[in-house]
Amino acid sequence: MTDTSFLLGLADAMVSASTVLVLAGLGELISERAGVLNLGVEGMILVGALSGVIATVVTGSYWIGFAVGSVCGLLMSAVHAFLCISLKADQAISGIMLTLLGTGITTYFGQQWASAQFAGFPDRTLPVIGGLLVEIPIVGPTVFEGPATDFVALGLVVVVWWLLTRTNLGLEIISVGEDPETADTMGIDVFKMRYLAVLIGGLLAGAAGAHLSLAFTGIWTNNIAAGQGWIAVALVIFARWRPGRLLVGAYLFGLFNSLRLRSQGLDLTLAPESPLAALLNPVVEFLLNPAIMSMYPYIVTLVVLVATVVWSRDDDSAQPAALVQAYSREAD
Amino acid sequence: MTDDLLRMESIVKTFPGVIANDHVDLTVRRGEIHGLLGENGAGKSTLMKVLYGLYTPDEGTIRLDGTPLRLDKPQDAMDAGIGMVHQHFKLIPRLTVTENVVLGSREPAASFRKENVGDGLLAGLRTSAPVQAVASRFSLGLDRPKRRIRTLADQYGFNIDVSAPVRELDVGQRQRVEILKALYRDVDLLILDEPTAVLTPVEAERLFETLERLVDDGLSVILITHKLKEVESVTDRVTVLREGADIGTVDTADVGRAELARMMVGRDVLFEIEKPNTTVGDPVLEASSISAADDRGIEKLSGVNLEVSAGEVVGVAGVSGNGQTQLAETVAGVRDPTAGTIEIRGREMSEASPDEFIEQGVSFVPEDRHENGCAGGLSVMHNAAMKDFRDDQFGDSVLFDYGSVGEYASRLVDDFDVRGVSDVTDNCADDLSGGNLQKLILARELARDPDLLVANQPTRGIDVGAIEFVRERLLERRDQGTGVLLFSENLDELFDLSDRLLVMYEGEIVLRTTPEETNKKRLSVEMNGGGSKRVSVPDDPPEAATRRAADGGRSDR
Repeated sequence: MTDTSFLLGLADAMVSASTVLVLAGLGELISERAGVLNLGVEGMILVGALSGVIATVVTGSYWIGFAVGSVCGLLMSAVHAFLCISLKADQAISGIMLTLLGTGITTYFGQQWASAQFAGFPDRTLPVIGGLLVEIPIVGPTVFEGPATDFVALGLVVVVWWLLTRTNLGLEIISVGEDPETADTMGIDVFKMRYLAVLIGGLLAGAAGAHLSLAFTGIWTNNIAAGQGWIAVALVIFARWRPGRLLVGAYLFGLFNSLRLRSQGLDLTLAPESPLAALLNPVVEFLLNPAIMSMYPYIVTLVVLVATVVWSRDDDSAQPAALVQAYSREAD
Repeated sequence: MTDDLLRMESIVKTFPGVIANDHVDLTVRRGEIHGLLGENGAGKSTLMKVLYGLYTPDEGTIRLDGTPLRLDKPQDAMDAGIGMVHQHFKLIPRLTVTENVVLGSREPAASFRKENVGDGLLAGLRTSAPVQAVASRFSLGLDRPKRRIRTLADQYGFNIDVSAPVRELDVGQRQRVEILKALYRDVDLLILDEPTAVLTPVEAERLFETLERLVDDGLSVILITHKLKEVESVTDRVTVLREGADIGTVDTADVGRAELARMMVGRDVLFEIEKPNTTVGDPVLEASSISAADDRGIEKLSGVNLEVSAGEVVGVAGVSGNGQTQLAETVAGVRDPTAGTIEIRGREMSEASPDEFIEQGVSFVPEDRHENGCAGGLSVMHNAAMKDFRDDQFGDSVLFDYGSVGEYASRLVDDFDVRGVSDVTDNCADDLSGGNLQKLILARELARDPDLLVANQPTRGIDVGAIEFVRERLLERRDQGTGVLLFSENLDELFDLSDRLLVMYEGEIVLRTTPEETNKKRLSVEMNGGGSKRVSVPDDPPEAATRRAADGGRSDR
């Protein structure tokens, strides 16, 4: 049945499309839990994507490409960390600057790599139990078959949740994002913790980029991130700074993203003899127009942000209390 | 010699333009409660921050048990056995009591603890340094700390749920968590920075009982305070600081309150204030049946009638939260009444903006001096001229004459003895200690020769010297013909200063009297709603009574 295969294809595309958001969103989440807003994610994704392609073409190994892309994201976040933590510069300005920088650099150096051919991450199943899992109806082929980076991202959701809620390191990261002065009096090195969190964030943003070019699209194109870094920032707010909810949110955004790609073969217009056809068909055609559909993820972002603010008015405490606040010891 | 636990010798700490500690000595004996007394800004907190590793001293030595200490960060102090309960609690509301207590101590999960590992091949591996290093970072054991904290809490009679998030605890419980944090780390010396500032008298009493028990168990305690009563009732010895200098250490039993006050302020302090009789003039404030709501829209003021005349002090007593804040804000023009009329010097002002109230000669000393009384990030000069910057003396309507504004601010700072200001343009309001900030606010409000002064808790949280100063200035204004509406939770203050007294309860004035006609006991009863209020308020409008009846079961606050 075509309907089932459409839904299956859509679910598959949704899961694949969400991985970029999961990786970048987790990075942003850790960084924000430590009190540092990183608006440079978009730039880090772009840099991670291009450097990943270059390294893959040069070495022939997509795993090396993935590693290089991640490290390049980390290097960019080191600039952010130095500006915001050591120099106490404005976090928003530093982040936007890094996004613009990343866009510029990748546009300039990316030209010659736009037609580069390389072998990216192939679809595969998990080792040992993968053969069994993939037999599960619907979930099997969509979740348990895909590029290795999809599994890495899913595993990281659990790892980040564990890190933040079940380890001393997580407790300390949260404490510097809530009240750095208190953390300091408890003997926690605030600067070290914040650097750590921002660098992990950059590493994951770079990994998101490398996944995007090496596993999702399989090719480098200019401005490949197309605003997904910004969506990742919004996603963290939507998720109320919790990794589990971030995964749900990423699937939601992934759904709208893949709808755009998949719906072109879908004809939802009514038959001409239907009485409502004259009225509704122009609307349906407008809504299914690819240019309009490509706006859906962003429209959803806006709607979700408004909804989050409206519904969670009593839940203000979800936001790290010291977000965007620089810390210096003798300031009190 | 051996019973000296701590010796701080010749500590010097300077900040740009200010010597916060000038060769201060402090010796604390084992098992004593040692008071550290001084006015706001005398250098008590600075000295303790030096001891806790938050500030590095310019000169001086610190010895604990005879061993010289180098304290670069709080961790060093904790390792040496020094714990501190800060005035503003160092707790993270989102985390639980246990998490707050263990934060930073890196307790690994149970399976990595030495006593749980047992013997065998894997045991050696699990206790090896690299594995322990990983475990202390990437695991978290809360079970054992939780038991230990519970035991400590039981031992000192703290009734605290150790798994509850700190944001669900009240102020007194939070303070006990702070003490638990120190006890958990086996401190020998516990520093408490003005611990009673946030507590009710009953809670303060409990705290002191706890301190006595801690001392019985061998701890030493440093109690930072500016309240003479606390020094007298709980400390064994006391060291007095004044303007950064060490005035001396005395046995508390040997000195009286007056002597301590003299050491602290540097002159004799009058505990009784003389209040000459003056003639009362025309009414400056006439408010009739005004109602007002708080920020959440809940009615806090229900049809209050109030009149203040030139040359009198009208004191308003009441338990916090019974509408005093709303009454003060409404008659000062910063909160719009929901019903009723306000007349200032005969002019109807109910709809007027705060600006018009200022023009009409109303001055206001708000309850929260940091939040509403000043702009913390602006300079002392800006804050001093904040209400009068349009005045002709500060330039024309286009350009500001900063020279004359600066002179004006410097004059206020001198006249009102605001300390800690080296330059009115360089120092910002947040640099000032509580008492000095309050003097600055008072200076700004009184320099305008107001016809009506509304002062809400003007002496809360400031030291005796500053309190005396503020009270004298209030009476001085009264004698010069200002009508003063004074809100205070300190009954002594109300009795000393007021010509007339009002008591508020649940948004209404339930008693109108004078200091001569009543006593503190009667007032306390009325403040808690125990009076026969219908009889004692004949001038309360009837609609207020119906409104009360209509929402009689309301339990908001």
